[in-house]
Parts: sequence; structure tokens; C-alpha cells
Amino acid sequence: MQPLGLSIGVWVNALLTLCILSFLYKDNPFFRFAESLFAGMSLGYYIGIVTVQTLQPNLIQPLGETFFGNHNYLLLIPMALGIMLYFRYIPRISWLSRIALAVYIGYYVGVLMMQKIHGQVIPQTRDTIMPVTTGGIDALWNLVVIIGVFSVLVYFYFSVEHKGVVGKVSRVGIWFLMISFGASFGYTIMARISLLMGRFSFLVNNWIRPMFGI
Amino acid sequence: MNLKKLLYIDRRIIYLVVAIGALIPIIRPIGLPVEPTDPVIGLFDKLESLSPGDAVIISYDYGPSSEPELNPMSSAILRHCFQREIKVLIMAVFPLGGVNMAIREVERIASEFEDLEYGVDYVNLGYKDGGQAAMKALAVSIRDVFPADVDGNDTSTMPILMEVRNYDDVEVVISLATGIIGEWWADLVNAQFGVPVAVGCTAVSAPKYYAFLRSGQMIAVLGGLKGASEYEELLKRNFDWAREVYSDPAEMKLAATTGMDVQAIVHVIIIVFIIFGNIMYFATGKEKGR
Repeated sequence: MQPLGLSIGVWVNALLTLCILSFLYKDNPFFRFAESLFAGMSLGYYIGIVTVQTLQPNLIQPLGETFFGNHNYLLLIPMALGIMLYFRYIPRISWLSRIALAVYIGYYVGVLMMQKIHGQVIPQTRDTIMPVTTGGIDALWNLVVIIGVFSVLVYFYFSVEHKGVVGKVSRVGIWFLMISFGASFGYTIMARISLLMGRFSFLVNNWIRPMFGI
Repeated sequence: MNLKKLLYIDRRIIYLVVAIGALIPIIRPIGLPVEPTDPVIGLFDKLESLSPGDAVIISYDYGPSSEPELNPMSSAILRHCFQREIKVLIMAVFPLGGVNMAIREVERIASEFEDLEYGVDYVNLGYKDGGQAAMKALAVSIRDVFPADVDGNDTSTMPILMEVRNYDDVEVVISLATGIIGEWWADLVNAQFGVPVAVGCTAVSAPKYYAFLRSGQMIAVLGGLKGASEYEELLKRNFDWAREVYSDPAEMKLAATTGMDVQAIVHVIIIVFIIFGNIMYFATGKEKGR
């Protein structure tokens, strides 16, 4: 026998799962209720988790300690910037929110520029500079990668009309793209089946079997 | 039989066939074989190469929607780490559920190891907002980013965080990721701080991560349920304790290996439908004289 709290949780979980799955038959109020409930709870959860796990330990608590000798005055700056973001809802001082937004965008643009160049453009470009004359199967795969990268780049180069040699190379690029879409689609099906299996496994093993004691 | 009727078969019949195909192995697992592949073996070998007392970060960057794929992965990796007495720092940078997934998983797996001590052998640091900003700040001080653990306990007095101060003291970061977060660990943390990164991701994300694996920015990629089942298989092949754990009927229900039975059957059903649909398409096309 399951504890009452657990069994209520399992029942709510199972019924909401059935509400969502009912969409497979056709759209209905049960599905829309479950969908709206999920959207609302996700937002509430996000606000709660940010407050408890980030604002409380990283801002509110250290600022509170300021009154007891730990001078964490610098934290007032990010706090002020955070509050200023919400000034956009007060028309008279809405311009102040742009200052906070500028700092926020400036920081993340800086981080992302380095991240993308240092972490993607350079290493991924370096990885396409590979030996093709060493012989063996590795050299063949290296050649496939090089042809794939080159032809796909040609396909996305739109400043020249795709005719003649350019057209033929971009055609090869389309083949590479189609194969990659096929691989992605296969993986996507695998992921979706996993989700279906997760829900079915829950319904069978956590709901139906305990209900009938099997 | 009228071919056109078959071509316009009600999609709900297809759903029903897929549902039946998925339910059969859940009710009665088949136990189809799983063969580990190099992208998964990379993480197993890395953890095997570590010494007791070395530290790893496991970041729970996923929510409930990815639970069926990533929870079995998390269970297998945590068991491997705890069994080898590797110190584990648990955290999350995905807001919707990451911390809850971590709490449930860590409590469940840690309870299997009697000698484990919280704050000494492992710690659950909880969720931190800010994404890349939090990841970058961990390079300076983990304690500054996480002054409190998931339950609000002060981390400054925890022995594990006195030993593991920043990325310099971390041997590998394992991100169990949904969406783009696994990519951040590779193109930011690996690229800028040189920490080896392994990603266990949902199958949807797996194709793009193989580019990072090939370029050496990741040491391993565990793609979806298949990756998880391969890791379970590696544990079972190498350790008696793993064979014992994964032969327990309660554990088998949660194991990725059981899920792969569902994958195999449903994939066959989908392949049959695709072949059938194409044959019907061309057959009816001929009827129209196209």
C-alpha cells in the first residue's frame, strides 16, 4: 500500500498524463486544461527557483550581512540594475530600463563573441583541416568531411547564381544536408519514443500495477 | 482491397499500433542486446582513469520532459563515480526541473552507498541562474557562485568545497543536458579553461554534439536512451555490483536497457509504416498515370 500523499501525487500525475495524451484523439478541454496548468506552473516554478536558489543566497543574504559588518555594498549595483529593468512599466522613468538592458546585453555579447569564436569557429574550422593523402579509411572519411563542409558552404553562398560548377557543387551540398536532416530526424524519433516510453512506463509501473496489486 | 483507403489510413490507428508496440516491452521486458560504442566508452574510460578523491562536476541541465532519457544516464554515472570514490559536485543551470531531477536522483543513488558522507564525498549545490555567467564564475570560485547548497546550508564549511575550489580542481564536467546547454560547457568551459567535458544529451541534440566530439572539445557523448543503455552495459560487463543492481526487478523498470526494447519495436513499426506509405504512394501514383 502506498502512502496517501504518494498515491494522490501518482493519481494527479496519471490523470494529467491522460489529459495530455487525449490530444492524440482530438483537441479537447481536458488537454487544454492540462496544458494551461503546465504553462502556469512552469512560470511559477521558475520564479520560485530563481528566488530561492539565486536571489536569496547570492544577493539578499549577503546584503543582509552588510548590516553585521560584512560590507557587500558592491551587490547594490547589480540589484539596482535588476530593479531598473522593471522601470519600463513606469512610462515616466522607462528610459532607465535601457541602461540596465545595455549592461546586460553588453556583458552577454562580450561573453558570446568569445565563446563562439574561441569555442566554435576556430576549433571547428581547425577540425576540417585534415590529411587526405595518408591512405586508409580515415583519409577517406576526412575527404568526405571536407567535401561536405565545402559543398554546404557553397550551397549557402547566395551572391552567385547557382549555375554551372557552382550549381553542381551546391547540389552535392543539398545531398549532404538531406543526409544530416535524415540523421537528425531519426534521433528525434528516438527521443520522442523515449518520452512516450517514460509516460507509459509510469502509467503501467507506478499507477496501474500498484492499483491492482500486480 | 482499395489502395487509396490504405493510403489515407486514420493517423489514430497508427498511434494505437505504436502505443501497443511500446506497451508490450514495458509489461514484459525482452532484453535485446546493447553494444557500447566509442563515444560512450570515452566517459567510462575517463572515470576509470581517475583516482579516489578526484572530483567531477555533474550538471543536471534538463527538466521533466527529458527525464526518461537522462535519468538512467544520471543513475549509471553517479553509481560509477560513487563506487570509485570520486567526489561529485552536483549543480544545475537549467531552471525548469534540473534541481528537482538532481535532488531525486542523488538521494536515490546515494542511499545505495552506506559510507557516503554529504559535504565530504558529494554535495548538491542546486540551481544557479545566469547560464554562461555562472559557468564563467565557477572558474574563479565555486563557493562564491554557490554560497549555499540546495537546502540553504553554508558551503564555506564543507570539506568538499575546501578541496575543490574551482575548475583547476575538477577532472571532468559531465553535463546531462537538454537543448543548447551541453554546447555551452564545451565552447565556453572546455575552450577557455581546458576542463574535459562529457555530455549526456537527449537524442534530439545528439547529432550536433558529435561535431564537438570529433574536434576533441568533448571527451564523450551519450546520445539519448541509447547512450544511457550503453553506459549501463559497460558497467554490467565490468563490475559484479552493477550486474547485481541492474538485475533487480525494481531497477530494471527504470533502466535504459529496458527502454531500448521499446525503441527497437517502435522503430520497426515506424520503418514498416514508412516503407508501406512509400509503396502505396507510388502504387496510387501509377494508377493516376503519373
